[in-house]
Parts: sequence; C-alpha cells; structure tokens
Amino acid sequence: MSADVVVGVVGNDVPRQLLLAAGAVPRRLMGSWSGSIDETAAEMLGATDPVVARILTDLLAGAADDLGAIVICNDSQAHLRLFYVLRMLSGTTLPPVHLVDLPRRDSAAARAFTAEQFRATVDVVSTITGRRPDAASLLAAAESEARVGGAAALMRDRRRQSPAAVSGTTALAANLRAMASSPDDAVAAFDSAVAEQPVARRLFMTGSTHPDASFYDAIEREGFTIVAEDHDSGDLAWIGVGVTSGDLEVVCAELADHHFARDLASPVALIADRARSARDRAGAAQAEVAVALLRAGDDAPAWDAASVRDALADMGIPLLVRTVDVGDDSAAIARSIAVDAAEGVAA
Amino acid sequence: MSDDRLHSAVRATGYQREWFQHVRARGAAGEQIALVNADAPHEIFRAMGIPYVVNQWWASVIAAKRAAPASLARLRALGLPDTNRQYDALALGAQDLPTEDAPWGGLPTPAFAVAERSGDVTAKIFELWGRRAETDTFLLSRTAAVPALEGWWDRVPHDWESVFGAARVDLLAAEIRELITWLEERTGRSLDLDVLAEVMDLANRQAEWNRRTRDMLAAARPAPVAVTDSIPSVMIPQWHRGTAWAVEAAERLHDEVAARIEAGSSVAPRERRRLMWIGRGLWSNLEMYRSFQEEFGAVFVWSMYLAIAADGYARYGGDPIRALAGRFVGLTDLLYVPPMSSSWYAKEAVAHGVDGVVHLVADDTPGSAFISAALEERGIPVLEIRANNADSRSTDEARVQERIAEFIRARVPERV
Ligand code: SF4
Ligand code: SF4
Repeated sequence: MSADVVVGVVGNDVPRQLLLAAGAVPRRLMGSWSGSIDETAAEMLGATDPVVARILTDLLAGAADDLGAIVICNDSQAHLRLFYVLRMLSGTTLPPVHLVDLPRRDSAAARAFTAEQFRATVDVVSTITGRRPDAASLLAAAESEARVGGAAALMRDRRRQSPAAVSGTTALAANLRAMASSPDDAVAAFDSAVAEQPVARRLFMTGSTHPDASFYDAIEREGFTIVAEDHDSGDLAWIGVGVTSGDLEVVCAELADHHFARDLASPVALIADRARSARDRAGAAQAEVAVALLRAGDDAPAWDAASVRDALADMGIPLLVRTVDVGDDSAAIARSIAVDAAEGVAA
Repeated sequence: MSDDRLHSAVRATGYQREWFQHVRARGAAGEQIALVNADAPHEIFRAMGIPYVVNQWWASVIAAKRAAPASLARLRALGLPDTNRQYDALALGAQDLPTEDAPWGGLPTPAFAVAERSGDVTAKIFELWGRRAETDTFLLSRTAAVPALEGWWDRVPHDWESVFGAARVDLLAAEIRELITWLEERTGRSLDLDVLAEVMDLANRQAEWNRRTRDMLAAARPAPVAVTDSIPSVMIPQWHRGTAWAVEAAERLHDEVAARIEAGSSVAPRERRRLMWIGRGLWSNLEMYRSFQEEFGAVFVWSMYLAIAADGYARYGGDPIRALAGRFVGLTDLLYVPPMSSSWYAKEAVAHGVDGVVHLVADDTPGSAFISAALEERGIPVLEIRANNADSRSTDEARVQERIAEFIRARVPERV
C-alpha cells in the first residue's frame, strides 16, 4: 500500500471506507481559526466562512501539490462555494475536484441519490488511483475503519469519565490527526489521546466546527475540560464507519442508510435536531456548562442558539454564546467565558 | 414622471394589490394559504387551487413599506440573528408585527410553508415557520449544480434532463410527489395531472412572450423602457405563473414595448450610456435608477428578472411533475453558479450592447467574481457593490448611489 494516493477531503460526508478501498488515503483539509486570507481567494468566494477562505488560500499556495484529487462535500454553503470556485480553476495547478452532494431529507429517492453519489465518488477516485475497489479491498477497508471507530469510541469514553481522562484539546487534536491519516495512524492518534487531566468544570461545545484546537486550548486553560461537542471535527466527525461487505452496491446503500441516521452539524441540520442532539450529548457527558462559539461568516449556528439554549436549560446546563470575528483573540474570549461561567451568567 | 410609466407595470402593481387583499379575505374566511419560497414549485399550489404568497415578494413589500427594521427587531427579540439571511427571514419577523404596522394589512397566517433547502439557513427559517401553531413546513432538497454547462440557454427548454442531470431531476420529482401527497392529506383536495399540465403550458407561453420581449429590448436603441418599470411588469406576473392572467400580462408587456419602440420612445432624453444591473434590485430605492438617466444619460437597459424569465423557465416535454422538477432543480444556479451564470451574463451583456455593469453582490450569492471577470474579459467595465438589498442599513453603508456615479464618471465613457 506504499503507493497510496492522497485525496484531500473538505467536509464531513465522505465515507473513508470508499476512498481506502479505491487505494486512496483521505486527508481532511480543515483550514484554521486564524491566519491570513489571500485576496484572490476572498474575491472568488465572496463573503463566506473565513475558515473556508483559508482552505482556498492554502490550496492556491500549493497545499494541493501532493494531492491526487480533492473531494468536497456539499455540507455547507461555504464548502459548496469552494467547490464551484475550484471547478472553475481546474486545469490550472490544482488536481481534479469532485463534489459529494448528499441530501438531508430522508426518503427512498434520497437514499438512492446518496448511494449514487458514493458510487460516483468511487469512480472518480478509482480513475486517479488506477484501482477499482474489489471485494477484498472493500472488506479490508471496512475492517480498518472499524478499528478506527473502536479507537475513537474508546477515546470518547475516556472523555466522558469523571473526572475526564483526556482533555478536549487532546481529543480534538486526535480527531483532526485521525481525519488526515491512514487507518493505522488514525488508531494511533486516538489511542495516544490519554493525557491526565486536573479536575475541571465539564464543558459542552456547540456552534461552529473547529478547524484547529486553538479555542479548545484557550478555554481549557481557564479551568474547563471540554467533554463533548456537536461539530464536525469532534464527536460528529464521520470517521470509523465501515460496512462489512465485498459488494460495492451493498456498501454504498448501507453507507447511505448510515448517513441518514447520524447527527449533523449546523449548516445542514434543522434547529430542532441540533437542540435535541445538544441536550442528549451534553447530558450524556455530564456537562456543567455549555458554550456556543459562533464564527462570523458561518451563518447557521446563530439560528440554532436560542433553541439549543432552551434545550440545555431543561438539563440545567447554562449556555454561553460567543461570536468570533476575524482577528478576535481566543484567550480573551476564553477569559470572558470563565468570568461569566463563574458568575453564573448564561446569555 | 409617472405619466410615462409602463401601463403594464401600473396594471400589474394594481392587480397585485387587489389579488393580495383577495388572498387576505380568503385567509380570513378560513381557507388554507401557503407561503412559498421563490424557488419552490409553485405550479403544484396553482394546480391544486391553494392560494400562495411568495416569501421574497412579501419581503420586498415589507422592505418597501419600511417595515424591515421592525421585522428584524422581532427576530432579535426571539434570540434569532438579524445579521444574516435577512431577506429570507423578513416575512417571519413581520408576521408578529401589530396589524397597524404590518404592510398591506399583513400576511394571513399560512397553513403551509414550503421551501428548498438552499444555503445554510433557509431550511431553519422555514422550520421556524413550522413551529407556529397553524403552520406546517415542507422542505425540498436542493442539489448542487453538477453538471454546469455553458451555453445552457439554447438547450434547457427541451433538453433539461441532460442540462441538469437526470439523477437530480429524479430526486426533486420524487420529493414533489411527496409534497403533493402531503398537501392532499392536509387540504382534502387532489392534484389533477391534466390541470398541472395546463398550468405548465401556460407558464411556458408566458416564458415565450418574455423571450420575445427580451429579444426586442436587446435590439432596441435607444432603450424604450426603464428597468424600474420592466421589473414589476415581469415579476408580478411571475408570481402568478401558470394563470391566463400572467400569459396576458406577458403579452401586454410585449405589445407595449413593441409600440414604444415603434414610436421611437426613449427612457433618457439622449441615451449616452447603456448599463446592466446584475443582482437583486434595490427595491427600496427605485428612484435612484432615474437619477443616473438625468445626470449621465446612463440607462439601465437590463435586469435579470426579464432575462431569466426569458431564458430560464420554459420546460417542454416529459410528464408535468418531472418537467416541473426540471424547471426548479437548477433555476437559481443559472443565475449564480459559474460557468452557467458567467457565460449567460456575458451573452446578455453583449446582446444588449451595454457599456458598463453594476454588479450587486449579496452575501448569499456565490460565483460573483467569475461573472465580473467574464464581463471584464469582454472589455465591459464592472462595478461590484457588496450589499444586501433587504436591509437598508447595509445598502446605506455601501453608498450605492455615489459609487455608481463615480463608476460612470471614471469607467464608462459616453457614446458618441
Ligand atoms: S388597467 Fe388598472 S392600472 Fe391600468 S389604468 Fe386601468 S385600472 Fe389603472
Ligand atoms: S381572480 Fe384574482 S384578482 Fe380576481 S378576485 Fe380572485 S384573486 Fe382577486
């Protein structure tokens, strides 16, 4: 497997099993909370999530040089725009781009459409790797993703312990590393997330997806442990899922079933589903306080916040809401969260 | 100045007022009313005889009646944001205004709220409609623009399956069938496919008239019609798509434009610059367009409303539900996703002989840089303005009027 092609993935809708079975290693491209945004990138994308503008900035600066292809998910307006831009730029220095477009409303037709999206993704990736998935590679990929899923579940359990046996920062970093790695490295990332934690207030994180651990780190330095979350680079990361079958049709169909069963991040979820999932997840993790970090430019989570707050209030968990603008200092925001949490201010 | 307004525009506006009061009366009498987004398949409601109001049109009324700030304040009071997707959410905020503050007496409580899941927030806004006691929400999927062809305008009326991709049409057609069942269960009515076919046919005939009108206007020198007039003349009938009235209105507009060309009418005393407006209209400031005519002889000769009505809507062949899915599956992509959008705007700019383009870039419109680039590549200067048309706060900030004037002075030379 040494000649594996690396495929860049933007978004949370690509089953890793399919890419692995087609001889590719998926590498999630996340962007970052801070850092410069190229002017051309900003112009081409228009007003959008700055994290996605940073992904484009990186790609224009050569971050795609070792990628065989880029697969983008239609799981936010910003990602879709990124796809439209990269499609216009294809044939330049960028590798081929492919969109994975999954419906969110469940129906037989939507499942068929989803399975077809998966098959089309396999076709594109196979063309680049020169390897069609066969029964052996599908089963091997299912097995290795199941190992990843097992390791991820164990790490989640460690976070849920009281006191938590792993910090949110370490867990998020492990997730980010796993999403950019082969199954063996992903398992290692999760297994090594065992940092000893001082006793701290248990915090549930909702709102925007975190492309890096900078806010987790800043918040945990203020005496919290982030024990669970409902965004795409944390507990909602679609990783470690495999369908044990050597038949591509069956694999695609069952992955489609799985797709319609999972909790979704804010840009593609209904408010009620976000509220329910926040309540369930924060409750199961015995969170004492919750924070919604709303990134300016990522429009969706602000629409959830009022309902999420009400749902968490049912569990006696106060929600602190913070908007993060470009250039805002994570330490200052973390400080203000600590102050409000100490004073019992939930806004 | 109002004496030279298009009769079609005056008439459409008057009809719309009368129609809305009629809808209010029907709502007050207990009939089920629908609130639908602009890109939802209205033809189903038309064919089932369910009165519907289009969210974006209602938002434009709210904005024009200066009720937007109060409506946004309502959203804020509910803990909802008022800084993104204002246009889609205005109606939701306005629904709780006291009757005396509500435009045109207010929207009757809708029984149905229907939209496609476009962007990150539309679904949530319509979900919130569904939390209101008497309103049920139905959300349709919005697939992305794959494939995206240049030169679609010649192919889309008949060849829509391959322009948009059969898989996308399959999904939306299946969901439209679910929507029909959902409405049948809630209204006790049933959809007659022959009636739907007739509605589709009327909508195609409306599009044909709009195409003839657009072609005439592209060739006319000087421009015989102010863009502020053609917008209501096209858009109001668009909200009545699939009725005999709308076909007649499109024909009347055509005949009126033809008569004006015949008579040698001109919007500006001496047309010295032909301009194109890309993006949504600035509904709250229609008089602005007139000021450029007076000061610079600059006439806005094009808006997307007539042009997309001419090129975007006609769908022939197939069973009516499938053809309807073929109408809406990628309609807004034609306007916003490059290279479909960019190639089309460039085609229209060349056909209309424009000297410059004002491009209003809203926060929810992707691909605008490629549209501007396609125009500039053809030697047509472009002014990009970033603003959201529903929110007078942001358009004020953008100093729209001064910037357009500066642009005309600096980059759009007078014709000789
Ligand atoms: S058609 Fe209607 S708008 Fe036109 S003049 Fe007659 S009454 Fe007035
Ligand atoms: S037909 Fe139209 S204009 Fe006439 S009363 Fe009914 S809704 Fe009003």
